[in-house]
Amino acid sequence: MKTNKLVAIMALAGLSTVALAQNGPIRIGVVTPLTGTYAGIGEQVKWGLNLAAKEINASGGVMGRQIELMYEDEEANPSVAVQKAEKLFQTSKVDFLTGTVNSGSTLAVGQVAERNNKLMATTVSFADSITGERCSPNVFRVNARAGMQSAALAAWVASTKPGAQVFYLGPDYEMGRSTVAAFKSAAEGKGAKSVGELFAPLDNKDYSPFFGQIRSGKPNVLYTSVAGNDTVRLFSQMAEFGVSRNVQIVGASGTVTGQNLTAIGKAAEGFVTGAGYSTLIDSPENKKFVEAFKAENKADPDLYGADSYGVLFLYKAAVEKAKSTETDKVRTAIRDLKWSTPQGVKTMRGGDHQAMQDMYAIIVKNGKFEIQSKVSAADAIGPDTCTKF
Amino acid sequence: MLDRFNSSTSKPNAVRLLAIVFFVTALMFAIIGTVMGDSFYVRLATEALIFGGLALSVDLLLGHVGLLPLGQALFFGLGAYVSALVLKEWAASFWLAIIVSMLFCAFAGLVGGLIAIRSKGVYFALISFGLAQVFSKVIYNTRELGASDGMTGVPVVTVIPGLQTDNPLGFFIVTWLVIGGIYLGLRYIMQTPMGRLFGAIRVNEHRVCFLGFDAWRFKITAFVAAAVVAGLSGALYPMLRGFVSPELMFFQVSGNAIVNVIVGGSGTLIGALYGAGLLTMLKSILGSFTVHHHIVIGLLFVVVVIAFPRGIVGYLVPVLEARLSKKKPGEH
Amino acid sequence: MTSILEWLQFVLAPQSINGLSIGVAVVLMALGLTIIFGLLDVINMAHGECYALGAYAVVIILGMGVSFWWALVLTPIIMGVMGYAMERGLIQRVFHSKDRHTLTLLLTFGMATVMEDAIKIVFGANPRSVEAPVTGATELFGSFFPNYRLFVMLLGGAIIVSVWLLVFRTSIGAIVRAAAHDKDMSASLGIPVSRVYALTFAFGVALAGIAGVLLAPIYSVFPTMGRDFVLMAFSVVIIGGMGSIKGAVIAGLVLTQIQSISSLLISPVWNDTLLFGIMVIVLMWRPQGLFGKLGHA
Repeated sequence: MKTNKLVAIMALAGLSTVALAQNGPIRIGVVTPLTGTYAGIGEQVKWGLNLAAKEINASGGVMGRQIELMYEDEEANPSVAVQKAEKLFQTSKVDFLTGTVNSGSTLAVGQVAERNNKLMATTVSFADSITGERCSPNVFRVNARAGMQSAALAAWVASTKPGAQVFYLGPDYEMGRSTVAAFKSAAEGKGAKSVGELFAPLDNKDYSPFFGQIRSGKPNVLYTSVAGNDTVRLFSQMAEFGVSRNVQIVGASGTVTGQNLTAIGKAAEGFVTGAGYSTLIDSPENKKFVEAFKAENKADPDLYGADSYGVLFLYKAAVEKAKSTETDKVRTAIRDLKWSTPQGVKTMRGGDHQAMQDMYAIIVKNGKFEIQSKVSAADAIGPDTCTKF
Repeated sequence: MLDRFNSSTSKPNAVRLLAIVFFVTALMFAIIGTVMGDSFYVRLATEALIFGGLALSVDLLLGHVGLLPLGQALFFGLGAYVSALVLKEWAASFWLAIIVSMLFCAFAGLVGGLIAIRSKGVYFALISFGLAQVFSKVIYNTRELGASDGMTGVPVVTVIPGLQTDNPLGFFIVTWLVIGGIYLGLRYIMQTPMGRLFGAIRVNEHRVCFLGFDAWRFKITAFVAAAVVAGLSGALYPMLRGFVSPELMFFQVSGNAIVNVIVGGSGTLIGALYGAGLLTMLKSILGSFTVHHHIVIGLLFVVVVIAFPRGIVGYLVPVLEARLSKKKPGEH
Repeated sequence: MTSILEWLQFVLAPQSINGLSIGVAVVLMALGLTIIFGLLDVINMAHGECYALGAYAVVIILGMGVSFWWALVLTPIIMGVMGYAMERGLIQRVFHSKDRHTLTLLLTFGMATVMEDAIKIVFGANPRSVEAPVTGATELFGSFFPNYRLFVMLLGGAIIVSVWLLVFRTSIGAIVRAAAHDKDMSASLGIPVSRVYALTFAFGVALAGIAGVLLAPIYSVFPTMGRDFVLMAFSVVIIGGMGSIKGAVIAGLVLTQIQSISSLLISPVWNDTLLFGIMVIVLMWRPQGLFGKLGHA
């Protein structure tokens, strides 16, 4: 008799845990740099995700279940990111993971996701390899990749300065060099001429030793892929020495962002880049998003905030289409899914898990990012080079 | 004679006790973690042991020879990269990766030592720091080694038939044995005449020369040994995590190892392991509560340096000694 | 013929003058370090953070609406007070143990970590900029140089000369040198040695602070800026000889010239490696540095 009662209680407990699993919150892990040099980006990621979660939960959640975000600090270090990702997958049992910023972390965490048979998405990393030769069946990318950014920028340069003489200045590490190389081939493909190339060390403090070389190349366009503090130094020193006079400065999307724009100040005026977002995108979804974001965080969203906002809606749409949170079903549902974001309707290309979206040439005017021109999603995306699935 | 007699009874008993406590607790922790089905903690503990190996190599130099290595992560990272490369490109063999890493780091240690050992004190520290900076930059820029993104895709390998590296408890035990082996090996070395000379060099290098010994030769040996220990520990990393990245050679890793050694207790060997274990756990726990864990650990370190320079083990040993000698009154 | 002259005038000369402005900055940093080491035998691993704090002090002072010139005067005083407190409160405590060298190195290393994190917490991780008080550019030998950089060169040079005069031509300097040379004898002659130590440390930190103020408009301000000069400043001090002011000045100026001119010929990424290589070679040939005295390691 006792055994029967015991069995009954256990069965009930078992059933209710199953029931709880079906009705309990959907846990989404966020491994993002909350401290360190990239903390500013991590903050935008957090703001975007929090706003999306709040809106989704207010309108009933995903299939009736609320979204719960669990944050861990990866300190922009892949070793830490891997540790935290594992903690989230195994101890906190999250269903999905996002938030990684640098490409090394995304790649390493992607491997952890594969080993735990879960999915993850990045909203910041733009190295082409993540959806290119190092693609993974468990990794998706919601933001634009480097190739897409170059396409938009090269198109703009070709249309405003045909036959431009371009000088390239990048930080001397793999990412800096490949970003320059990507833009160079896109620009040369559209008729630009290269008059010189220089790579400065990362965290270089003084760019004045290079100005002589830049000047002697007599460029009318200068492309740079420096980022963060390096940009502040480069731009203010170029202004100091008058190098930027009569030269159109263009660069990668990470070169001038909300985090360093105030410090660069006037020296950033006129800078053009290719990116997937601007607060001035003229759509009702974007206007609503920007207002809600500003009200919540007292700051404008940037591309990291906007893309992080979008990723939760992607997940929601996929889960609702698959009617489950099981990895394989969600993966099938995400492939080739179209979903609505502040940047319009994005399509997640199934062949390489790269989101397709319209790209913009963005200019800095009066301390704000304004849109100069647009390249359509199909033109910007580039070929599918992922062969792993 | 009396000297040997004294030092072979009371102190090592206390240290031996602490060492046994450490290894047994670690093993139990892993077993409990596995039973509860949570492999995250088992892997975290494995990682703590791996970095404990790096701390051991720092303690060998700092606590025993008196050289402060600000760039020991260089050898750790080299061991990790060599191991990853062997596993990915050459043959997916655990033993091959370990042996090649050790040989490579011994060679690298010899070259590095030839450059660094000529100088002492702060010069040595800065050359060690400089070497790590220069080489991590080289790797950071080398495409074939994955550049700034590192290399993923290190395959799972078989240690002995039936035991794969992706088995959390199994690989923990492998690491436990390796680090335990390193610890015992280093303890043994310290009891030999060479080990005594290390201590003598730390106390007063000039006098050692007057006693007829070539201090330089012993310092190089220690440096190479430390490089091998660091490299061997590093070789285990890609087997645990499946990837390597240049951050493994950055100053932060070297700095952490030094903090581990000082907090644990320099010169005691087991202190390095305690430091690594406790600080890894502390960081993981703190990280869930606050984003400011760095500053907490920094403050802890400053307090330890000022108020408890002998570290946790350094203070526990006399306390334990006293209690042990009370228990066995007839024995000295 | 003309093309060589042109090269000299339009390529080499501006490169060299630029190198000079960087050199003055590096020497200011190295001076504080070498003075602290020369007297106290303490390696101040937190020197870079003192430099960073000087820069952040300017940010605060400018933020309060006070002019840059006041920042230039106030910051060294603030940093000096802080340095005095650091020496008395923290460094003194480990100063008398037998492991002094290692312990002070570790202590200042720990302090550096705490200071860098504190800066991040208080000011946030994003960079700040400081407006240069002197704007415009002047033409020199046919190339343009920003006036502010010329100003930094001149003021920095003046500070370096005054430090040298202070140490070698005043009675305060004599007291400091005496205490460095023989602590016990100086104490028995009535010199308050521990106060001299604290004041000297404060002075070195104040120098780092001034460097921070002067360079903020050129290099901008952010939490990890302390690491900018670490390798360079320590290399200069080591190559010049620890404790030698002459060595710091000469090594600082020569090394920055070498770096500036070599970036014309080889890729600038190898700057650090070149510096490191020079340091290793100098140490192998003369372990005490070019002008250093034996026994200071």
